[in-house]
Amino acid sequence: MCMALGVVTLMVSCESKTLPILGNRYAEGGDTIYHTIAPFSFVDQDSSIISKATVEGKIYVADFFFTSCRTICPIMKSQMLRVYEATKQMDDVLLLSHTIDPEYDTVALLHDFAWRLGVESSKWHFVTGEKDSIYKVAQASYFATALEDKTEPDGFIHSGAFLLVDKRGRIRGKYDGTKEPDVDRLIADIKRLRSE
Amino acid sequence: MRNKWKVSGERWKCGGWYFVCLLLMLLSCTPKDQKLQQYFIKGEELYSKHCSNCHQADGSGLGLVYPSLNKSDYIDKNLEGVICLMEYGKRGEIIVNGKSFNKSMPGIPSLTDLEIAEIATYLYNNWDREKGVVEEKEVIEALKKCKSK
Repeated sequence: MCMALGVVTLMVSCESKTLPILGNRYAEGGDTIYHTIAPFSFVDQDSSIISKATVEGKIYVADFFFTSCRTICPIMKSQMLRVYEATKQMDDVLLLSHTIDPEYDTVALLHDFAWRLGVESSKWHFVTGEKDSIYKVAQASYFATALEDKTEPDGFIHSGAFLLVDKRGRIRGKYDGTKEPDVDRLIADIKRLRSE
Repeated sequence: MRNKWKVSGERWKCGGWYFVCLLLMLLSCTPKDQKLQQYFIKGEELYSKHCSNCHQADGSGLGLVYPSLNKSDYIDKNLEGVICLMEYGKRGEIIVNGKSFNKSMPGIPSLTDLEIAEIATYLYNNWDREKGVVEEKEVIEALKKCKSK
């Protein structure tokens, strides 16, 4: 999947100012059809339904984590908190963190987690849902790894990626959510995307 | 002959400086400091392996999820408690800098007493703390106490 993603990653134009559109594409008639995030429906920390309609016309950053994870997630969350602070005033930017351990991460637990981070639920949605749907959207839509693996220290394998999605549901950037310079780039790219 | 004397004179001078330098090094680097440095460096390594994911590399913690370690009245007042939670973990509410944290921290039973002493030395000599070496003996005693609780 990563290979395919890499191979088909092309700049939309040669202008360096435009962010690339990631994922497979094909031509239909005279149009190019790009990879977009498939429809989804999850529940956030306030029990609100979060679906494609929620993110319609918004730029958002997605990631995959679980609250009991002690490996890369806390670093990702401290980095996502930086994105949160940087985009706080931007009404057209949302953050979407999916738990990959929905059995443990209930709505109540996610609510407590978000409260402990001190973030607004209207901006940063922590979503849970059917385990299969989460894993499927992770892999097929966001090209992020999410797997249960009891041999792993915390019981899951998952990528620390942050995915930047544009207002039309297309992935425009992939960043390592555990690395500060990568997250700096993400914050800069959000600004670029807003002025597109 | 004159040359020879001159050379030896310089040698003496050189040797003198060497001696002074050595003395300075010895004075500035007593065995105690060396031990502190050793424990600190090893402690830093262990910290980044076992603690920094959650408490962050700079010890700033994460919101009310993971308490900060760089500025922490809990750490300042509870050496024994800190030693025990490394080994046995911590459950239930804990108040740090007046704020309530309530997520359980798992212990790391694989740590040796020496390693706990090294991490503690790192915590207690970093971020404006200057406690000096936390000895392995102190760790053994603290662990005995909290085990019997």
